[in-house]
Amino acid sequence: MSTEQTERQSIKGQVDRMINRTVQRSVKGLEFIRSRKEPVGLTPKDLIYEKGTLRLYHYHSNAEEVYRIPLIIVMATTNKSYLFDLLPGQSMVEFLLNKGFDVYMIDWNDPTQQERHLGFADYTQDFIPSCIEKVQENCGEEQVSILGYCMGGVLSTIYAATHPDGPLANLACLTTPVNWHEMGLFRHWNDERYFDVDKLVDTVGIIPGDFIASGFEMLRPAQKLASRIRVWDNMWNDEYVQSYRAFDRWGSETVPLAGEYFRETTKELMWKNKLHRGEMEVAGKSANLANITIPIMHTIAEHDHIVPVAASRPLLELVSSEDKEELVLKGGHVSLIAGPNAVKRMWPHVSHWLAKRSV
Amino acid sequence: MSKDKASNPTQVFEEWVTNWERAVNSFSNKLMETDDFSKAVNSVQNTQLQMQKVFAEMMAKQLANLNMPSRSDMLDVVEAMHALENRFEKMEMQLKKISGAMDGGAKTKPKGPARTKKAPPEPKK
Repeated sequence: MSTEQTERQSIKGQVDRMINRTVQRSVKGLEFIRSRKEPVGLTPKDLIYEKGTLRLYHYHSNAEEVYRIPLIIVMATTNKSYLFDLLPGQSMVEFLLNKGFDVYMIDWNDPTQQERHLGFADYTQDFIPSCIEKVQENCGEEQVSILGYCMGGVLSTIYAATHPDGPLANLACLTTPVNWHEMGLFRHWNDERYFDVDKLVDTVGIIPGDFIASGFEMLRPAQKLASRIRVWDNMWNDEYVQSYRAFDRWGSETVPLAGEYFRETTKELMWKNKLHRGEMEVAGKSANLANITIPIMHTIAEHDHIVPVAASRPLLELVSSEDKEELVLKGGHVSLIAGPNAVKRMWPHVSHWLAKRSV
Repeated sequence: MSKDKASNPTQVFEEWVTNWERAVNSFSNKLMETDDFSKAVNSVQNTQLQMQKVFAEMMAKQLANLNMPSRSDMLDVVEAMHALENRFEKMEMQLKKISGAMDGGAKTKPKGPARTKKAPPEPKK
């Protein structure tokens, strides 16, 4: 076959494919518009404890034997926990269950106006310890491991630092901010010269989810539109569309924040940078990260636009643990948990690290 | 490579979208990094909050004139109910503990798979 014939066939193939995809886009585009929310978080689980905004779930394990030490995932306070259980095959929870872990999840519901006074002391000295007690009762084991994501990681490190003799055996953090002066645009927008956090909190009580979501969106203003263009371009690809819809749903279901918690985050962390300086105190206890001596690992996303590497990296430098490990992966704040690189690298790595320390 | 790109309009379009997204994000971020932006956004927000506060106060006065409960009155009622719920929950837990102690105090072994799984071998490097 001559070169000219090969080129002609190649062009014909591309034209055929374009026509085929254009037809599929039109047909599937209509389905896309009409369809309901993508079902997410499908791994079977039981609600074993609830208290206001707090939910503690226990996932069903099908394994004949599991690791001795159970794992509690502490979700970020601004989002729903199903990011860890997005879709079958795209679920870190499912992966961990298959690897033989007994998995629990601390999830957050919208706080009510009565919960506007909740602060760090409630989250780290009441909610997390209560959940640990429930897990201990549920599984009969004294020790637990914690995996904290983003602000869930901050709460977990504060818990660990204020309970150095507690039942926590291992702490794994995912993209957890420590040096809040490196929080990029967030830090800039919350500049104490212009941002009146007291006025905001005292007026609204609960920080609305939309307010938080718009903050995230403003970091990458073109991302939403570009994603929509991409999903239209890939409308013929069912897997791509399903994944997009699940992520889109997750991104749009931002959880509001208790006002006091937001005020403390702004003043204690963002302005005074107390966690980084070792000056953080919660309920009269020192939350100096140097109090942490248990095995700890920290996974950081190289292209994280929400928690930049400079903000998360100091965690391991500040703890006193001898057994500590850092993993830096390509990807962003969300794709770190459920993106392709998470499936290939983050999940196996975290699972292996925990497995060795969970027997 | 460039020939491949030229003959693949889909790829060209995808790259154009990516470049456009990067350019817009980069430009916006530079703009939002300025002090003026932070000052302006927070000034607008403060004005909105002030209006919200004034409106809430006016509404509370009107409701008081009409002898109707305000939002904060309703929230107080809900808070009192929550306090009651919490007390009931604590009482329920105490009762469970007492009934457990009366049953002989023996802890029932939690159900579930055996917690005997061994650590996996080190992956080959």
